[in-house]
Amino acid sequence: MNQRRNVRVNINGAVHDVPAVTNETLADFLRYRLGMVGTKKGCETGDCGACTVIMNGKAVNSCLVLAVEADGANVTTIEGIGSAGRLHPLQQAFIDHGAVQCGFCSPGMIVAAKSLLDDEPEAAAEDIRLAIAGNLCRCADYVAIAKAIAAAGKVLRAGK
Amino acid sequence: MNHVGKIIGKPILRKDAPGKVAGEARYVDDLALPGMIYGKVLRSPHPHARVRSIDASRALKHPGVLAVLTAQDIPGANSIGAIIKDQPILCGDVVRFAGDAVAVVAAETERAAEEAMAQVVVNYEVLPAVMDPLKAMEPGAPSVHPAGNIGTHFKARRGDVQAALRDAAVVLERRFFTQRIEHAYMEPEGAVAAVDPQGGITIWSSTQYPHRDREEVSRMLGLPQSRVRVHQMTTGGGFGGKLTPHAQCCAALIAWKTGRPAKVKYQRDESIIASHKRHPYVMDLKLGATKEGKLLAIEATLVGDTGAYLYEGRAVITKSVTHVTGPYYIPSVKADGYAVFTHTVPCGAMRGYGIPQIAFALESLMDELATRVGLDPIEVRMRNALDTTLPTATGQVLHASVPFKEMLQRTKRAADSFKPLLAKAPKGKRRGIGVGCSTRSIGSIRKSSRSTAIVTLSPDGSVTIACGHVDLGQGSDIMMAQVAAEVLGVDVDRIQLLTNDTAVAPDCESTSASRVTYLSGNAVRLAAEKVRRQVLELAGRDLGCDPEDLRLVDGVVAYRERGITLADLFNRHVYHEITAVADFMPETEPLDPETGQGSAAGTYSFSTHAALVDVDEGTGQVQVLRYAAVCDVGRLINPITVEGQVRGGVMMGIGYALTEEVKVNGGVSNPSFATYLVPTSFDVPEEISVEIVEDPEPTGPFGAKGFAEGTLDPVGAAVANAVSAAIGVRVVRLPMTSERVHALLHEPSS
Repeated sequence: MNQRRNVRVNINGAVHDVPAVTNETLADFLRYRLGMVGTKKGCETGDCGACTVIMNGKAVNSCLVLAVEADGANVTTIEGIGSAGRLHPLQQAFIDHGAVQCGFCSPGMIVAAKSLLDDEPEAAAEDIRLAIAGNLCRCADYVAIAKAIAAAGKVLRAGK
Repeated sequence: MNHVGKIIGKPILRKDAPGKVAGEARYVDDLALPGMIYGKVLRSPHPHARVRSIDASRALKHPGVLAVLTAQDIPGANSIGAIIKDQPILCGDVVRFAGDAVAVVAAETERAAEEAMAQVVVNYEVLPAVMDPLKAMEPGAPSVHPAGNIGTHFKARRGDVQAALRDAAVVLERRFFTQRIEHAYMEPEGAVAAVDPQGGITIWSSTQYPHRDREEVSRMLGLPQSRVRVHQMTTGGGFGGKLTPHAQCCAALIAWKTGRPAKVKYQRDESIIASHKRHPYVMDLKLGATKEGKLLAIEATLVGDTGAYLYEGRAVITKSVTHVTGPYYIPSVKADGYAVFTHTVPCGAMRGYGIPQIAFALESLMDELATRVGLDPIEVRMRNALDTTLPTATGQVLHASVPFKEMLQRTKRAADSFKPLLAKAPKGKRRGIGVGCSTRSIGSIRKSSRSTAIVTLSPDGSVTIACGHVDLGQGSDIMMAQVAAEVLGVDVDRIQLLTNDTAVAPDCESTSASRVTYLSGNAVRLAAEKVRRQVLELAGRDLGCDPEDLRLVDGVVAYRERGITLADLFNRHVYHEITAVADFMPETEPLDPETGQGSAAGTYSFSTHAALVDVDEGTGQVQVLRYAAVCDVGRLINPITVEGQVRGGVMMGIGYALTEEVKVNGGVSNPSFATYLVPTSFDVPEEISVEIVEDPEPTGPFGAKGFAEGTLDPVGAAVANAVSAAIGVRVVRLPMTSERVHALLHEPSS
């Protein structure tokens, strides 16, 4: 069960070809093999959403995906969305709307929101609520988070 | 004071946010040191057992394993705990709950440590356990500790309660129950430790109190505190749960014994099984009142289950007893609070700290009183409301910043705005409105608190603040920056906080008890004022004018049309920078141990909330539709962070009211987010309105005071009162799960 296999995966536009243990999760692969620690681990059972990444266009809990399953996939992590010096409109909206407290859920929450807005640029309040239903926030200002996502949707639509 | 109000009260964005939203903020598990190894904690599966032997021989042969450490390996004190240090770091003799730690396994990888842990053989002699606090108080119950199962008994006594109850036109009496709940911070506990070449040790941790981490590690290793340095990493929430540095001690022990940097982090299930919880309470309350609804007396017995250890239980129970009258004046008081040991997961600090429990019970009875005397629930509260002339349960008269009556008026308007919706309940739903109120002392109630800040002004006009109150995400850093910026006439972007390193920041106690704004806001203000005064006096001498006529703005001291830059001023007087230290300690007097009377806190904060709920007749499910929180902050420093705290506290309170309960069956039986249900985006009311009342506290920084826990304190009460109104049956037990509410709907006597 501890066999190694090469995983060739496109992460945020760059191809990585790195060996992984076959029972290693994508979350651990990103964090500990590649040092991309922006993806957080809050439960490792798929219940909190802190480790959300976009894989082949769908938001997934990277703690429930094996690294070897990502072989050949396109993955977007929080690092691929923006940086502190060059924020994506979603990240800027989270700041402007006071949707960030401890910040531990923020990367997963923003990735889930990005996935939503990629699919549904005109997402309504109910779509937003549903898209982040699997992302827990214990500082728990879901109101501010939803407002931030809606505002970012507007900015993104205006920019197109 | 020049420029007051330029920065205070403004919605200034916090400085930690860009790094957090970009995934660039570094939490403890994001840290990797060269040569770092990993530790896993082996925990007892039994609630009560004697540890006969620990055989690590097989585990030590597992590939990659470096050490299996037990109680015998601890060089110094093997005890830990926030206030009372009564929990062994590693149990050598007896385990007192299923989850108590017996060994820590160190290995090259996390996985090797986990695999080896399964090969450690502990020979336990299982002992009889007591799991219920009322049974634990009975004679002959198994003892959790040698001195007996009553860990503390705290009393409040005032007036002749028996006589007052005998003469009261209305007497209400009930037993209420609340549950154990979990903090559920999104980031589980963790720490990294590394021994330095000079024989000291450095810890990086997720913590609410780096200086306590330092104290506990120094006790455990027998090292001077000055040789232990603790860095708080960005911390993913605390809520009272990151006050006992067990992971820190385990990491430090491994590093100390192996010489390798070591990381210990808890898994989510481990965090729920082993970290302390909110105390569950059994509360017997008796309330006497006149037929006009004026309160005469309260008699209360509060039994808090503190689990296996008492470390915060005594203080939590004291908080409940000292707040037993809530935000009301009740002339005669007899209250007895007990923190009782059981063989269950320990209970300790959690946002609210003994108030949500008593608020639920008292506010339920206040609603019953309203019904009995034929008054509106707000009116009965108004008739008994504290003001600046009436004493709290401890006999303290609050001479200022008691806006409770105004808040009640505002909550009445909110509740009235819900009323037209009552008739619009869909078929199959019952709709109700409830209010809940509370008050709380800011800071510790059993002892005095002190905060210290060091403010340094550089010649370029930038400022550093060293103050050991760490930010857990609530936004205290931006609060402190705003206070200093206001005093020193600089932009907040010119201010750097140094809170998270014990080597540079003074010990200010923990980030807890809603104390940071009041205590550290004051310490920062006082230190910044000293700096400002010194600068203006120097400049006054040079400019030949009264320092009072000078203004300090953006690194320039200005006098009419003339000005002098700080760089020139400092240069002329050979200052490289100007530093001042100040501390703040509110005036308090200790509580009398027999009567619980005394002026125990510098200030109090009030909360008045209203909820509109629907109850599904078929399933019993409760949905909070609208929520209105009126919040007393003294003076608003930052509306963005305050509103975030309020909505977050309300959501946490809704979880407490409706779904959250840590279940114990031997050990914790629901240690996951699939079985322990915290609110999700679907549990948010359609509207959470936040109203901030400003009634400045004269002793607070710019009139501000703490409020963070008050955002949660009355939520269980408000929602319970709304549910009781909707179903016509008094709720006496939290949480109001679908099953329980369904039973109340269909068998009201259950």
